[in-house]
Amino acid sequence: MTTITDTRLRRPAWSAAGPDSVRRRWIRLLLVAMVPLALFYFAWLLQPDRIGNPVLYVLLLAAELFNACQALGFWWTCSRERPWRRSAWLDLPPAVDVFIPVYDEPVAVVEPTVRAAAEMTGAEVTVHVLDDGDSDDMQLMAARCGAGYIRRAEHEGAKAGNINHALAQTDAPFVVVLDCDHVPEREFLEATLGCFNDDRVAFAQTPQYYANWDRGEVPAAAWGQQALFFGPIARGKDGHDAMFCCGTNVVFRRAALLDVGGFPIESVTEDFELSIALHERGWRSRYVPEVLAHGLGPEDMASYVGQQQRWSRGCLSALPTVLRSSLPLRLKVQYMLSASFFLSGWTVLVYMTFPVVRLVTGAQPLASTTADQFLGHFAPYFGLSLLAVTVLGGGAYTFKAFALQAASFWIHVQSTVLTVLGRRGSFVVTPKEGVEGRQPRAVAPALAAIAVLLTVAGYGLLRDRDPATLNNVAFASLHIAVLLAGVVPALRRRPLPLVAPRPYPVPT
Amino acid sequence: MTTTPTDHRTTTTHRPRRHTAAPARPRAAHPQRSRRESAVQVGRLAGEQLAVAAGQVGAGIGNLLFALIAARLLAPGAFAELAAFLALYLLIHVPAGSLSAGSALSPELAARARRRALIGGAAAGGALAVLAVPLGALLDLSPLLLLAAAAAAPTAPLLALDRGRLYGLGRRTRAVGSLLAEPAVRLTIGVAFAALVGPVGGAIAVVAAGWAALAVAQLPAGETAPRGGAEPSRPQTGLAIAAFLLLAVIQNQDVLFANALLDGDEAGRFAVLSTLGGAAAFATTTVPLMLLPRAGRDALRAALGVAFVLGLAAVAVVAVSPGGLVSLVFGGRYEQVGALVVPYVLAMAMLGVARVFVAHACASNGARRAVFVLAPVALLHLVLIAVLGDDAAGVATATLISTTVLTAGTAAIALPRPLAVRIPREAVWVAAIALGGLVLRLLATRGIWLDEATEIHQAQMPMSDMLANLRTIDVHPPLHHIILWGTVRLLGTGELAVRVPSLIAATAMIPLIHAAARDIYDRRAGMAAAVLASVAPFAVWYADEARMYALFMVFALLAVWMQVRILRGGGAGAWIGYVLSAAALIYTQYFGILFVATQQLAFAVAIARGAVPLRRYAAWSALLVLLIAPALSFAHAQFSANESAGRGFQQPSQAGGSVEPGAAPGAYAALTNLAWAVLGYHSNATMTALAAMWPLGVLLALSLLGRGRSWPTLLVVACALAPGIALFALGQLKPFVFEVRYFIGAVPLALMLIARAVTSWVRRPVVMAAACAAVAAIMGLGLADQQLNGSNPRVYDFKSALDRIEARAEPGDVIVFTPQYVDHVVAYYEDEGLKMQPLDKGLPAPRRGHRLFLLASFQDKPQYRKAAQDAVRKLSQRHHLVRRDRVPQILTWEFRR
Repeated sequence: MTTITDTRLRRPAWSAAGPDSVRRRWIRLLLVAMVPLALFYFAWLLQPDRIGNPVLYVLLLAAELFNACQALGFWWTCSRERPWRRSAWLDLPPAVDVFIPVYDEPVAVVEPTVRAAAEMTGAEVTVHVLDDGDSDDMQLMAARCGAGYIRRAEHEGAKAGNINHALAQTDAPFVVVLDCDHVPEREFLEATLGCFNDDRVAFAQTPQYYANWDRGEVPAAAWGQQALFFGPIARGKDGHDAMFCCGTNVVFRRAALLDVGGFPIESVTEDFELSIALHERGWRSRYVPEVLAHGLGPEDMASYVGQQQRWSRGCLSALPTVLRSSLPLRLKVQYMLSASFFLSGWTVLVYMTFPVVRLVTGAQPLASTTADQFLGHFAPYFGLSLLAVTVLGGGAYTFKAFALQAASFWIHVQSTVLTVLGRRGSFVVTPKEGVEGRQPRAVAPALAAIAVLLTVAGYGLLRDRDPATLNNVAFASLHIAVLLAGVVPALRRRPLPLVAPRPYPVPT
Repeated sequence: MTTTPTDHRTTTTHRPRRHTAAPARPRAAHPQRSRRESAVQVGRLAGEQLAVAAGQVGAGIGNLLFALIAARLLAPGAFAELAAFLALYLLIHVPAGSLSAGSALSPELAARARRRALIGGAAAGGALAVLAVPLGALLDLSPLLLLAAAAAAPTAPLLALDRGRLYGLGRRTRAVGSLLAEPAVRLTIGVAFAALVGPVGGAIAVVAAGWAALAVAQLPAGETAPRGGAEPSRPQTGLAIAAFLLLAVIQNQDVLFANALLDGDEAGRFAVLSTLGGAAAFATTTVPLMLLPRAGRDALRAALGVAFVLGLAAVAVVAVSPGGLVSLVFGGRYEQVGALVVPYVLAMAMLGVARVFVAHACASNGARRAVFVLAPVALLHLVLIAVLGDDAAGVATATLISTTVLTAGTAAIALPRPLAVRIPREAVWVAAIALGGLVLRLLATRGIWLDEATEIHQAQMPMSDMLANLRTIDVHPPLHHIILWGTVRLLGTGELAVRVPSLIAATAMIPLIHAAARDIYDRRAGMAAAVLASVAPFAVWYADEARMYALFMVFALLAVWMQVRILRGGGAGAWIGYVLSAAALIYTQYFGILFVATQQLAFAVAIARGAVPLRRYAAWSALLVLLIAPALSFAHAQFSANESAGRGFQQPSQAGGSVEPGAAPGAYAALTNLAWAVLGYHSNATMTALAAMWPLGVLLALSLLGRGRSWPTLLVVACALAPGIALFALGQLKPFVFEVRYFIGAVPLALMLIARAVTSWVRRPVVMAAACAAVAAIMGLGLADQQLNGSNPRVYDFKSALDRIEARAEPGDVIVFTPQYVDHVVAYYEDEGLKMQPLDKGLPAPRRGHRLFLLASFQDKPQYRKAAQDAVRKLSQRHHLVRRDRVPQILTWEFRR
């Protein structure tokens, strides 16, 4: 028995599998119960008597309706889970090319991936390291591991261009794309190839599991967000035949890739746009709810912000593509929901604005309402929504995940503005190793929001302490607390691991 | 220095005399001895103890004789002056006496500290001398007496140090000599001077006696004697002094505060008690000092035996004829104090025993533990005096309770193994927290409330009449009434007496919630829960109410805990605990059935999952049904009786300060009840402000994301929320039922959940402790506001209102009150000399020269406000309004014809 300290090599602490049929039934009942509660709330909200300041009211309404749409979409998606059972590939073991695109990642991060990929069973595997960093060390490592090494002269199209170049150099009927930090399990192909018994399946996506989720607050919170997506949401999208490619831990049918001309190189989220193109061409996708590869999530705030900026820019940029596409309505709505998620930061901004405006100017969005009335209509809807997220997320979606998301509101705002202005984004690889030291600049907008809220709250309390003021100060405090919880990892030095790292026994 | 061997006169070097350090005490090795040898040793040591104690007693008798002779010789005024001087002399010497403990433990301390003691004593004396004139005017004493006291001041610490050194070195004879020197000088020179010069002469002789005792006590340097035990460290010596100082405080603070708190007659009665009790304490003063230099089981046994015998002898002497003794010594007017003499002398005898335990602890390097016991007991004593000290009996009771606790506590720390029970540190902490919680509950007193007065009235009936009354008029189950029935007969109907069951339940809830949270979660959750329960405003409020709510909390907590144990595979013990607590819950408050029903749902889920065998559940549930069947039958009878009387269960809201009378509860009412449960009762303005902060509840809900859902937590949450939700729903039809008192069982469950959250959401121990402290501090602030804010709508200060009426009323005056149902509380506080009647029976016309007092409460209810206003208007037409008064929730008017 040997021991290793690479977190990617230990057993996953999470399962992507869905609940049993009994639980699924209860979850569906829960989701069904949400609808009348939402109607109850909006029926109360959408009355002329409720209008206070018209501008603020419209903003509130827009934010609430957007969130209601997202919530309804979430419930609709999650209610359509398809039970998963592995099926075996029905033919002789096929040839599979495994592409591991690298840029400037450390060899120590890449090597375990290459070695593990080479040991995958169930197919004739050929591993190719696609090195856009032109590193001799990487070449040596590939040779050492018995893997192929592909280096291209021109580095056009970032990761998408790199993969397209490799597609031209290889010919296996199936292609696996693994990010260089995602170490696959031996049975990766055995679990996924069975999906391709259906000739119309273009790709099979598996979860992006962050093996370093317990190594700090940022990866833990980021993982909470991932777990919600790769748990109930992805399973639900699979039920809608709407699962999209997430860029790694995915198996492609080469013919499907060639059918759409390979990965689109114009977008920073090439995987998302590729999925749209494939679905438009009538191909299908599958989601395999098993953790078959273990990767590394962003370990510091700057890495997380960079990742989120790339995703939000890419997905928002894809909105016109979705709208213009000839996808079936169901798929179009699914893609719209996923892409428009990156507008949710605007609603956070709107909600934060209300107590500020109220405390400074006295204007408020709602009129002729008491706390009793508001809570009586809002609390059941909000409470049950939270319960649904908790139950569906299986406990993986944490407050810290929510807070980090809320504190990243400005990324969505920034991305929207840049997308509207037509500014092109660039593909930036998410760093695989964290940075020591504080990173306040990475969360500067959130810090500014906290400062404004604190100032206004203090001003409000100094001026008056009537119930209305206290209520708005409480709202401001709520936002401050959430934002602080989201940004505090950037204000600490590299935090200690949530769980002390220890050697993990590996059978030899 | 050179030496020449032939001439010693020129060669011997004179070395200065040196204080040789006392030889190090050999470790108290206890070689195996035979019982006979041990008994012989104990006997010898006891003999030594008795010899010195005899000297002490002899000194005491001698000093008493001097006082008695002086009383004969001097005029009353002059004797009073001399007695005041003696009290001042004691005031100087008693605290300084604690230094004896230090020097007995570490005899070289006397040499080391003598200079500082002299300087300190001289400084005190100097200050007294400088202030002689103004102090004399203040105390009505001759400045010459104060100058005499100033002259005595330096002897106090020196005498204490040197006497202690004598004990420490085993110089018993000289110690006795020093003790007897004082009365010898007093009885010779003192009597003569007093006769010749008066009180000043007597005082001078007393001072001289002190100096004489000091002279006898001062040994030549270098005197040593073998001692047993290891040499104590300086901190231990300091702690030993502190421990004995605390003992002196406990011994004397009751008479000091009695003098301040009680009126003249009662203070005098207590002074008599204190004098007699002081004799018992005085007799055992030397016993611990003799023990201090020795550390060993035999020495402890000997000292305990002597202290016990002396104490018992004192009790026996006074027990022969307590009243007769008091009359004989103090005069017939104090005879009634006789009933208190035996308990008080017993308290002082226990103090003597406790001092022995403390001495043993100090001698065994346990002085710190002793201080940790003594300090809270001194505080407890003080609090009890403040709470109970309405009369001499109350102060004596406070002292008896405190010395009992003191003796038990010091025994626990001092008794050597295997006699001592090993008490885990955690248990000590929980006990300390519970003691703190008890102190808070004792301090948070308020007057009797009308529900309490009604129940006290019912409890004074014969049992059968009480139950019939409950069955026909009341709407509550009988358990608390039965307990109160017994309490009233044992302890009377005093405010504290009737609340003893609630006080015990609410205090017991602290270790209970610790045990439950520790068992369900972990040790940290248990400790945090205990801390929160000790300061939780609601728990403190209902600890001080002679109603069933404290019991409700305890039984609900116990029932949930037992259910968790059952679901974890517990055996018959858990089932029995559950059945009994669930049954008791229903017998305490009918709304307890909501908790029990929630628990049955949980059992159903557990049975469906195979966690609980159905047969076992059925058997125990059958027993539960059997136990509660009489309660349900009782409830049915009550319901029928109330329905046929046209009352139903529609009760007027008697809780006071309810959210909005008559309105179906909404979100605001829910928030208010939640705020009450966690932060206690506050003014309406505060509650409105708290309710406005509801967005922080959103933060709490969000913070629950991803927290995991262990089934014990789900069960606790369900039991905490479900009854409240059910009553909220029922409240849409009958608004008055939605009040947190009726689901008060949720409070300890909520505290447990808060404790769990604080200790599991935070990883770092320091941050966890800070978070727990912050939550406790918030609750403490809530508690302070609840208790001290006069705008608390829950406070109905009938006591103050009626006390003020009683202070002004004379026989023949009339009290008219509204509404009618405050009759019992008015009757509770008013003596029988006044006529009392409800307003709805009309306004009586007071006779000329007499007064009519109108007392009005519940003025937030329109009908009662109108009735009071009409009455005032009518009375003002024919009578003179003398005075108008207002206390929380009570208005009074005084009319005179």
